[in-house]
Formats: sequence, structure tokens, C-alpha cells
Amino acid sequence: MNTIVTITVVASSERTAEDAIEDAFLTIGDIEKRADFYSPESEITSINKSAGVSDVKVSPDILSLIGKALSVSEKTEGAFDITIGPVTLLYDFHTKQKPEYDALRKTLPLVNYRNVVINKNDSTVYLRKPGMMIDPGGISKGYAADRATDVLKHHGISSGIVAIAGDIRAFGLKPDGRPWKIGIRNSRATGTEDDIMATMELTDAAVSTSGDYERFFISDGIRYHHVLSPMTGRPAGMCRSVTVIAPEGYLADSFSTGIFILGPEKGLRILETSGYGGVIVDNQGKVRITPGLRGKIEFQRNP
Amino acid sequence: MNFREILKFTTVADRVLFSILILLSLLGLIFVRSLIPGGNSVEIDVDGNLEYVLPLDEEKTVPVQGPQGTTLVEIRNHRVRVVESPCQNKLCIQQGWVEHGVIACLPNKVLITVGKNGKRSSEPDAVTE
Repeated sequence: MNTIVTITVVASSERTAEDAIEDAFLTIGDIEKRADFYSPESEITSINKSAGVSDVKVSPDILSLIGKALSVSEKTEGAFDITIGPVTLLYDFHTKQKPEYDALRKTLPLVNYRNVVINKNDSTVYLRKPGMMIDPGGISKGYAADRATDVLKHHGISSGIVAIAGDIRAFGLKPDGRPWKIGIRNSRATGTEDDIMATMELTDAAVSTSGDYERFFISDGIRYHHVLSPMTGRPAGMCRSVTVIAPEGYLADSFSTGIFILGPEKGLRILETSGYGGVIVDNQGKVRITPGLRGKIEFQRNP
Repeated sequence: MNFREILKFTTVADRVLFSILILLSLLGLIFVRSLIPGGNSVEIDVDGNLEYVLPLDEEKTVPVQGPQGTTLVEIRNHRVRVVESPCQNKLCIQQGWVEHGVIACLPNKVLITVGKNGKRSSEPDAVTE
């Protein structure tokens, strides 16, 4: 994964900080290596290769990651689904490649998280149908931020922030006694001036955003972006960006994807039921926030 | 009726009560001060580059190296001033103590921003995208 990782910590000494950060980086690198959808050597690839054939023994991290992903699928009515893999491969955002109707029709029946079988006792994962593929891209960064945070805390760090691309996990307070300040990227920024849509102060929480502006191309006036719906196999069209604030990184990461796909109305309802915060910009640019966030979020300008 | 005459009409209990009230209000002042988060910071730029970010509630004297020499910046009692400067006009020193705002020494290219409304304080620690 080509992602920028930033770790900031508050520590009693530079030595403590450096040791903790180095360890956290190693953990993130390790998870990214194991969970890499595109690498032929990753654990995810060996699960995918054995689809419909046999179960595969995996590391505790991958077992936990997949288990968490399946639980989020249940909570988002299947909108977040890591078995989106075969659909992911039909798109190439560099070469502007998109699938024909026939290819989509054949691939979609492979997408169903209920066909992932986890055996916690044996630490194995099995995909029931040949051709099925797990693409953990919608949860692995949030999960890695959680694990990195565990590592930092284990080193005695009481305050810090881990940002893997736009997936952020913050804990403790800054040296000035204030919570961390997190900005939300404006989905339609025209320059550096209107880069940030809103800011909020938080701690002991994770924030992630799914947007239609990260990886996309425009063909015949239609924006093809990377948030693909497991129901249609096409880019989800009801939102421009969805930011989710949850207690853990894996939740914020996967829910932001799931709610982007479900759209603003259903999304807000699910966020409220789950007790998470959310900022949803719909496809008309209208901003909606969960009631709990009112007064806690400061908007810089209209997105 | 002056203060001494008023004092004659008071009992010992009154005086004790007054003393307690005065003490409480003074303590209140101190408590309020310590309860307000020390969110304010001092940011020092040299020639357009941020060189220092310092808490406003920590007493400190910082020698800041500019192109003309050392500008000595003092932080005390939530205020900031320039003590010494290599510049000719010494306008920065004449500005005295600043609680909130900007002290600029143009000849030595030193810019001191005091208070949380400083230009960078609104920048987030991380951005989700």
C-alpha cells in the first residue's frame, strides 16, 4: 500500500517516543504486508487463491481483521463487504478501465460476506465459492491504526495520534491539555484555501472518511470512483464524502465505506443506532451530521 | 463614616466572616486561572519559517537567531516581550509586554505570535480524507 503514515506522541523522553514510534511503524508495516490485496505473498492472497478449495491458516491479526469485517457487514446491512474483491479487480483507476455489464453480472454473485467461514479454534479462513476474493482495503488501515495505538500504549505512551492516510486514531490529550484537532477534507476543494471543510476536537476516538475524490476517473460525464457497492458492483452514488467518528479505527474505517454506499438517510440512522458520530455530504453537496456532533464540529465553509 | 468607624460596629464574628469571604474570592481567582486550559501558545517565526512553538504558561527566555543577530524573547505571567534585539529602531522592545497579538521585528525577520488566535492554532493535528 502506498500510504503516508504519521505518528505523533507525547512522551517523557525522546528515547521513549522514538522506541514506541518505531515499534508502531513495524506493526503497521506487518499488517499491511499480511493484508495486501495485490501482493502475491500476502495472507489475504493465499486465502483468495484457495477459495472454494480449502481453508487457510492465518495469523491472529488477519483472523481478527476478517472477524471484525464480518461483524460490520452485519451492522451495515451488507453494504460494507470485504468479499468485494472480484469487483475491485474489474476497475483500474489509472487506466480508466471499467467493467462491461456481462462481466459485472457474472462477478456479483461472488460477493457475499456470508460465504466467508472463520474457524477461530484452528485460526483458519475459508471462502465457500471458487473465484471469491477478500479485499480488506476498506478496513485494514483503520485496524492497523488500532494495533499501532495498542503498541504505543504498551510502551507507556499516554497521548498520541496515529494517521494512516486519512484513517486517524487519537488518544490522550495534547501537552497544552486540549484534545486533538482533526480536520475533514473538503470533497470539492479548489485549492489550499478551501482544503478543510470542518474541524473537531476529540480524543480516545477514531475518525475515517470515505470520499468519491480519492481514486476516480470521469468517463462520459460519470464519475467512477473506488467506493464500490456490493449490491450493484458500481461506484456508490448517493454521497460525496462520509466521515465517521467511532471508538476504534476499524469501525470508523469500515462504517465510513458502508454508509457511503447506503446513502445519507439510512446511513444517519445506522450511525445513531450504533452511537457513532458522522458527517455526510450527499451528492448535492448538502451536509448532514449526527445530532451528537452538533456544537462539537466547526465548519470552515460550505463544501 | 470612615473605615475605622465601620470597624467599631463589627463584632469578632463579622470580622472573621469578612476575612473568610475575602480569602474565598481570592482563592476563586487563583482556581479559575488554573482551571482554564493553558491552550495559548507562543509561535516564533524567523524569516517566514516556524522555529518555536512554546506554551504561554511556562516562564522562559528564548534567544532567537535572526539574520542580524539574537532577539531575546521573554515569556512570563502569560505575556511575552522582546528584551534584546540587534535591530536599529528597537520598536519590538518598545512594544513591551503583549498578552495577545503579534510582535514583529522586521529588520531581524522575527515574528512572534501570542495567543491561541495565532495563525497556526486553527490548523488541525491530522486530516481525515
